[in-house]
Amino acid sequence: MNAALDIGVASGFTLAVPAEISIALMISALLFTLGIIGFLCRRNMIIMFLCTELMFQGAALAMVSFSRMRMDVSGQVFVIFILTVAAAEAALALGLVVLLYRRRETLNADAWSELGES
Amino acid sequence: MVPIFFYVACAMSAAGLALLLMPQGRTLRFGASIMGLAGIAWILVQIVRSIGAPSDALAPIGVLALCAFVSVASAVRVITHHRPVFCALYFVLVVVSSAAVFVLLSAEFVAFSLIIVYAGAILITYLFVLMLAQQSPADIGSTDAVEYDRIQREPASAVIAGFVILAVLGGSVFRVHESNPPATLDQDRAIRQGWRDLALMPTLLLAQARQADATVTAVVRRGNGQFVAVQSDHSAILSVVRANQSTPTDLTLPPALLPDNTSRVGMALVTRFPVSLELAGIILLMAMFGAVVLARRHTMHGDDEKRALAASVAQRDNASGALTR
Repeated sequence: MNAALDIGVASGFTLAVPAEISIALMISALLFTLGIIGFLCRRNMIIMFLCTELMFQGAALAMVSFSRMRMDVSGQVFVIFILTVAAAEAALALGLVVLLYRRRETLNADAWSELGES
Repeated sequence: MVPIFFYVACAMSAAGLALLLMPQGRTLRFGASIMGLAGIAWILVQIVRSIGAPSDALAPIGVLALCAFVSVASAVRVITHHRPVFCALYFVLVVVSSAAVFVLLSAEFVAFSLIIVYAGAILITYLFVLMLAQQSPADIGSTDAVEYDRIQREPASAVIAGFVILAVLGGSVFRVHESNPPATLDQDRAIRQGWRDLALMPTLLLAQARQADATVTAVVRRGNGQFVAVQSDHSAILSVVRANQSTPTDLTLPPALLPDNTSRVGMALVTRFPVSLELAGIILLMAMFGAVVLARRHTMHGDDEKRALAASVAQRDNASGALTR
């Protein structure tokens, strides 16, 4: 074992779930986190909605990996419903974005920081 | 307990991502991406190394870790790239590589429906909206994106908040108390569940029985009321009626005849979640109505205006009709 990569107690950890499941769970957590960070940081409204899709992706990955762990297909069925909601959300949100763009001629979310009549 | 290296790697990739999100020069960008991706790669490599398994079990996990790395790296590009169209295209890469992860987790139906719906439908919608609502750069021919795509809002605090969530979520894959036994993939349970799912599908059950023995005409219930009896060697025993027999006899199905993922998902969808399926259809219908209502151009015409408009149209039609006549 390569000791140079380990620091301190790092060498002695054990996983609570099988390794393939833990990798899938780890990237599902990472995709969810990156989605949150993107939603908070980006100022383009379309990219903000794209980041919510990133969060959906992370949630779907967690569902499928738990479905693999428990050997139960309900997790995969739930991902199909996530897909449905994502499609509906994309259609509505993008329609709203186009409406907002027509009002202010910009995609900058900060243009709407003061609520009220335009 | 959760190993220290995990928190160190989280902090490392958080610092790299925060530097990437701030406006800076090319060399710093390069260093920051190296640092962030190294943190993620470190976590993945540690997990792969921790199994210490024989090499035949290591190969699929290596592929899984590679797909995981590609998907996370392109997700980072989604939130850091300055051009929205490239963000959408990198999101396609995220979808494709996580679909590869789904295939490796033996969820083939979900993987391909994800590619079709996300990469095929939703992302095309995003691209069309980007084209409809894109601001051209300040001067034609400049490579700079518009200001609100280049300058991010509060990157440092967002990254800190995000990676605190990651440290909590990701720490759950490590064993916290030594008294908790680690979860294992229960192959026996999976096989038993698979045969039980097959028993719910009479037509498929008969087809699989015919594959094992072509003379089968019907599958009947066994003595205990079940169609399938699962053996300890993962095969299943059915009671079948053959073409030239009147009394049912036993037939053994090998594990190769287990139903595949697609038919199991479809069966679960219509037997266990029928109401949810109907509700999903209603949600899609409502979304379609909503999109139509939102996209309709709102023009305010009074009754008199409408009458005048109709009259002018009718007049024009008459005029053109007279010309052709």
